[in-house]
Amino acid sequence: MKREDTIEIRWHGRGGQGAVTSAELTALSAIHENKFAQAFPSFGPERRGAPVLAFNRISAEHPIRVRSSVIKPDIVVVLDPGLVTLINVVDGLKPGGWLIVNSTRSIDDLQSEFSGDWKLAVVDASSIARELLRVNIVNTTMLGALIKTTGVINIDSLKEQLEVKFGARAKANLEACRKAFATTVISSIKTGGQKKVRTFAVENLAKWSELPVGCVVTDVGNTKQFCTGDWKAQHPVWNDSKCIKCGICSLFCPEFCISQQKDGYFRANEFYCKGCGICAQECWTQCITMVEEA
Amino acid sequence: METLSIYAPKLITSREYIASGHRACSGCGEVLAMRYVCKALGRNTIISNATGCMEIISTPLPQTAWEVPWIHTLFENASAVASGIECGLKALKRKHGYTREVKVVAMGGDGATADIGLQSLSGAMERGHDFIYVCYDNEAYMNTGIQRSSETPFGASTTTAPSGKASMGQHTWQKNMAAIAAAHEIQYVATSCSSYPFDIMTKVEKAIKIKGPSYIHILSVCPTGWRCPSNSTIKMGRLAVETGIFPMYEIENGKYTLNIDLPKLRPVEDYLKLQGRFRHLDKDNTAEIQEKVLDEYNKVKRLAAGNKAK
Repeated sequence: MKREDTIEIRWHGRGGQGAVTSAELTALSAIHENKFAQAFPSFGPERRGAPVLAFNRISAEHPIRVRSSVIKPDIVVVLDPGLVTLINVVDGLKPGGWLIVNSTRSIDDLQSEFSGDWKLAVVDASSIARELLRVNIVNTTMLGALIKTTGVINIDSLKEQLEVKFGARAKANLEACRKAFATTVISSIKTGGQKKVRTFAVENLAKWSELPVGCVVTDVGNTKQFCTGDWKAQHPVWNDSKCIKCGICSLFCPEFCISQQKDGYFRANEFYCKGCGICAQECWTQCITMVEEA
Repeated sequence: METLSIYAPKLITSREYIASGHRACSGCGEVLAMRYVCKALGRNTIISNATGCMEIISTPLPQTAWEVPWIHTLFENASAVASGIECGLKALKRKHGYTREVKVVAMGGDGATADIGLQSLSGAMERGHDFIYVCYDNEAYMNTGIQRSSETPFGASTTTAPSGKASMGQHTWQKNMAAIAAAHEIQYVATSCSSYPFDIMTKVEKAIKIKGPSYIHILSVCPTGWRCPSNSTIKMGRLAVETGIFPMYEIENGKYTLNIDLPKLRPVEDYLKLQGRFRHLDKDNTAEIQEKVLDEYNKVKRLAAGNKAK
């Protein structure tokens, strides 16, 4: 049984964004403050860009015996802005809990999308990370937002852990963390609102339990229904005036999503493109540039 | 570069046998290699796929990316299942007048080939089943989070062979799977790399024509596990070949042919320094790797030259 004083955190991120590192740093900082803490990822295939989960449990008083994944979190932190429309990030979030989102959208805009008996905090961590760290990896930045909103750990104890983990790069990471701390916007509880029922793309797909005996999939190539395009952080843009229509981009596309249009030029199907950038790298005439997702 | 060869991509069929929407990491070289293999195999194929990255990413139940008959097997029995399918087809032909020519193909990663599934592969090759075995070698168990395999190169840091104060990462040399396959005296053994689509397709087409077992070992670049940018996949594969780290050759009835024989190899640093898994290596380690690479490369070169002399 989980004790009452244990705080549970669920991190939503994408493979490679550092959700696991965030959870680890949180736990290490809590342990540094003489608390009891756990950090662990959800087990599964580790794929760059795919939605992933990481978990924390922190208790000031008691050792934590529970080892299962967090189902009813007190705090949910979302590292990737795209995830809020993709999966149900507030699944199981406790009344009075916290939802902390990295987004460029305003807090009112986001609040209209979610309504529930919990508090919302928004920070534009991607812009902070790009400015201060020069990469769109927001794990340490989002820790600033977590500290500001919930105070589960202290920023000074985090500082020490950052130095151990990142060495020379700790300074910039801490700066990003502090900036997020300063710019996080917090809303109060919005109760009484009608809870919106939302369906997510994944829920419309067939379920494994509906398969015939022997797990035979009769619908060939039905991964085509699955949008892998929302994994990407950047997308290719063609400059047709330089294109010689050789098709090397199409040949080397690991998503098989680049095809020749009627006019002879090539385009990527954004529904599948994961933004790896191979096409831009391999193009003979360098007519492809990778543009960051808005 | 000859001007015509620039337009070579257009010669490849646009028919895909793996659908988009698969869950491979962005920039996956292994799924690219599999795509070229399947393009060359065509429709009349039954694939037996060992557990591993390619199985995980192509069939997240209840979905499948496959557009040819495909069966998921365990790590250890991809070749055994392929043997069974091949025997079943033979029986169908003998007893029920089945006439279509179907090629049975077993596929697996380096773990399923060189570690866990080696016994069933060896058995199937020894029994002489008419099948192709394709190994996609990304040099570790990538889908479970980069654990070392017997194909992990010397010096690479993995999660189970980490580099640090006490260790420099993987301290053993790679298992030579092509030589092991060749030791079974099968008709066709080849090595290829995910950055060379035409090479892969030519080799698969050759293997289809063989009556009996054939083995193709494909180095498949894994940006996630090799810790390199996802857009460097193709470049990394080319560097592996151009530095001599991964010589591309064929063994046809015991005769070696070196497919890409460069007059001068690039230094291995060009390849090593671009990958996070080799970041910790010092000059001595690099020199040691360079020596071993040249050794192995020259061995293949001598074997290939021996054929020419005959």
